[in-house]
Amino acid sequence: MSTSEMLVKVLGDLQKIGEIEASAIATRDGLLMSADMHAKGDPETFVAMSATMLGAAETATSELGKDVPNRVIVEADDGKLICMGAGPKALVVVMTAPGAGLGLVLVEMTKSAEKIAKLI
Amino acid sequence: MIETGIPKLDGYLHGGIPEGNSLVYYAYPGVDGGVFGMQTIFHAVSGGRCGAYIASSTDPRMIRDQFMEFGWDMGESVFADRFTIVDAFSGLIGADSQERYVVPEPDNINSLTQCIKQVMEEMPEPGIIVFESLSTVMDLCGEKETLDAVLEWNKYAMLYDHVMVYNFTAWPYSEETLLQVKGDACNSVVSVGGISEKVIFGWYFGLLKLDWAEMIRKWVLFKILKPGGVRIYIPKILVTGPFDAGKSTVVHALSNRAVSVDRLGTTIALDHGHIDHNGFAADVFGTPGQERFDPIVKLLSGEAMGVFLVLDSANATGFARGVRMLEITESFGLPVVVIANKQDLPEALAPEEIKTRLDIPESVPILPAVAADSEGVFEAFETLVEMVMGVN
Repeated sequence: MSTSEMLVKVLGDLQKIGEIEASAIATRDGLLMSADMHAKGDPETFVAMSATMLGAAETATSELGKDVPNRVIVEADDGKLICMGAGPKALVVVMTAPGAGLGLVLVEMTKSAEKIAKLI
Repeated sequence: MIETGIPKLDGYLHGGIPEGNSLVYYAYPGVDGGVFGMQTIFHAVSGGRCGAYIASSTDPRMIRDQFMEFGWDMGESVFADRFTIVDAFSGLIGADSQERYVVPEPDNINSLTQCIKQVMEEMPEPGIIVFESLSTVMDLCGEKETLDAVLEWNKYAMLYDHVMVYNFTAWPYSEETLLQVKGDACNSVVSVGGISEKVIFGWYFGLLKLDWAEMIRKWVLFKILKPGGVRIYIPKILVTGPFDAGKSTVVHALSNRAVSVDRLGTTIALDHGHIDHNGFAADVFGTPGQERFDPIVKLLSGEAMGVFLVLDSANATGFARGVRMLEITESFGLPVVVIANKQDLPEALAPEEIKTRLDIPESVPILPAVAADSEGVFEAFETLVEMVMGVN
């Protein structure tokens, strides 16, 4: 299995928990590696903006001498956007359905992020 | 000479495929190589040549739909007497066929050969014959039988001055078969593969063999657009420069689709756009220009393959900051094109004048532009693409 096929599998496993409307893996500098967008939106733009958001959050907290944040969670009425680092080079980002339980998504995303960190 | 219509490839083939010669698109499993053959025959037929497409794994009606997905309408009446689909599929499932040429027994190589020879004989002038999938033929008729037939078809095509093009997927056939497909079977071989090295994930093509001219050993990344077909692809072009130089305007002028994160009229995070121009596709990342955003600029500029430095030609005080932004983005060593923007302003400096005031290497081109009117931006894009292509 090639690395990109492995990344597809990681995202596929993450989707199995349900209530995930889009998910993607990208480099920290915003280049797409793998995405499952359910035919919605533009994956390149989605990950470029997610990388910017995560990077900006890390820069903002480190300005105050805090540690690197574990994740960025954006709460909206019709879903939650969650972005977290996956090792030094990559990140993983998901958009959930409105009623998704945050706990389960975070647990599974953390597992995915650990796998991605080992793959890249 | 018949052009393939695949950007850059015709250059590598020294103009196209000469009459009587053959080419195989050798695709690795997992890569969608079929579009190469489709694009080639569409390009040839729409350019006035005759073409036959050998459908061996798909119903001919669905083949027409597949062409339509790329925006290629093979059903146009002007194509009617030039384009045919040879139905080597319906016979397998016992279905009726509407096509003029039907192979009665697609799993029998002699039946196929007979039909292909008839097509070649009846084509009114030298044209192109494209195989949807040579691998399917191999699966049905046997590896050795198919390879022997390819040699026979190619010889026949030479006699009639036709061009033969095969789509082939390198499934785990015998080593000998794969070597022959890559080696002696045809006059030229284009390898189509996927890469996941480092962090660039994508597809590439390049020549493996060429026997009618000197071979150019270059590999290019590509992307398949629907509609559109094969495009040379640059995953990241950076657009940077000082505050208010017009970076976002350049991104939007170049892009078919672009989004910006801007507040109070200035970019605070990123402009992102897709370019599709002249056979080339690229994703562009536009950085903020104000110094307080420098940490983000540095973060987002990794892995760029080329850089635009946008300057306001009428504001020389920003030039030093522009050069500083090339340092922040670690752009030195990458292909860089300076866009001397806002040339329509009365106090704008000419590109030559800017060159003398800018502390950058002599070799960096400085091109005039008025991004707000889309003037000069595509010239700059073409220049940068040529430089990026030259590096690889």
